[in-house]
Amino acid sequence: MNPPGFLSVVGVVLAKDLRTELRSKQTLMTMAMFGLVLTFVFAFSFVADPATNRKVLPGALWASLLFTGTLGVGRTFAREAELGAFAALVLSPADRAAVLLGKMLGNLAMSIVVMVLVVPLLALMLRVDITATAAIIALQLLLGALGFAVVGTPLAVMAVNARFAEVLLPIVVFPLVTPVLIAGVKGTGIALGTTIGEDAWGWVQFIAAFDVAFGVGGLFLFERMVTE
Amino acid sequence: MKPFPIATALSALGLFAAHWLAFDFVPMERTMGAVQRIFYFHVPSAWLCYLGFLMCFVGSVGYLWTRRGRWDLFALASAEVGLIFGFIVLITGPLWARPAWGAWWRWEPRLVSMALMVLIFCAYWVLRTYGGSGEGVKRFAAILGVFGAPNIVFVHLAVRKWRGTHPDQVVARSDSDMRVALYSILAIMLVVFVLLVVQRYRIHKNAFRVRALRRRLSRLGAM
Repeated sequence: MNPPGFLSVVGVVLAKDLRTELRSKQTLMTMAMFGLVLTFVFAFSFVADPATNRKVLPGALWASLLFTGTLGVGRTFAREAELGAFAALVLSPADRAAVLLGKMLGNLAMSIVVMVLVVPLLALMLRVDITATAAIIALQLLLGALGFAVVGTPLAVMAVNARFAEVLLPIVVFPLVTPVLIAGVKGTGIALGTTIGEDAWGWVQFIAAFDVAFGVGGLFLFERMVTE
Repeated sequence: MKPFPIATALSALGLFAAHWLAFDFVPMERTMGAVQRIFYFHVPSAWLCYLGFLMCFVGSVGYLWTRRGRWDLFALASAEVGLIFGFIVLITGPLWARPAWGAWWRWEPRLVSMALMVLIFCAYWVLRTYGGSGEGVKRFAAILGVFGAPNIVFVHLAVRKWRGTHPDQVVARSDSDMRVALYSILAIMLVVFVLLVVQRYRIHKNAFRVRALRRRLSRLGAM
């Protein structure tokens, strides 16, 4: 029997994860609830006059993305680990990089759903009108969520082996996604007119370059990470 | 005589010489005054910190490809010693910046990338110290070591894009005595760096051996 093709493995892993997630809604609901709680935390911490709110919003958005993303990424292989299916997944003739890519996309999908909920809510609570620049902010957050997924997912796989994995993971992942955070906060600030800078597109390209570099690097290294 | 104690003794003498060079030999810097002397320790520490983290990157790649324990130990020892020099950089830098710039900290590419690098390797250290010592943790750390290096480049680019300003290169416009002092101190500190890496490597190797022996003993029912 021929090993399955790369893209079909990606699709199967992604579809399987989304299907189980849609049935249990375990991770998604925890992430969404955490996002909801965070919007209140940020609102209570930062809400002030309209000009200040507008300045604070980019930071609150990107911090929410990172914090909720950590929950999702930490659960990447939780189901496999609980039921002992991880070894089966690794031993199958499927390309491991494809498995990882499927997992990355699954985490990305989760972040998208949560951000669709959190972004309007935060904008509403901080009373900032983002409708005029919604498209570019959405694009920035999409690429940012991808950046978070490509860095966080392989590390989450490795964290399964460590003690205190759930505590260690954010310690390890947050410094590594700092470029995305800087670029995202600046880019969104420019889009909202609160940060001085040439244009928001430069930062979009920056995040895209980060995504490609770490995405390709992670997929390339994954084979080395989980042999045996 | 064993070479290691001799080298250690010599490097201790060298550190005295380094202080003489920095505080007595070099002329007083005209605009900045005495506080500039901190640079003879700050700049070499920064270079050695980068070297340590570069070595950690190399060790991590080596470990992922060969799965030989010695590459992992090399990466771990390098990261630890690099981290020490990173702390020296982050302590001496603000001490200089406060009188020279009027602020302890500036959001400037080199500062931010150094701070982030130290942060990443703090995470590396926490992982190695508290995450357990299994094979999986070593691989986890190796991935961190590999991801850390290109990340610094991105951080540096991001902050440069954001700020657009670069501080003056202090080394470039120093006079010859200053350069002699700087490179001599760098050489002395490099020796200290190498000795520390060697020592940490040995300690980890022995600790690993002790753990393996303990396991064997307990399997034999003697413990």
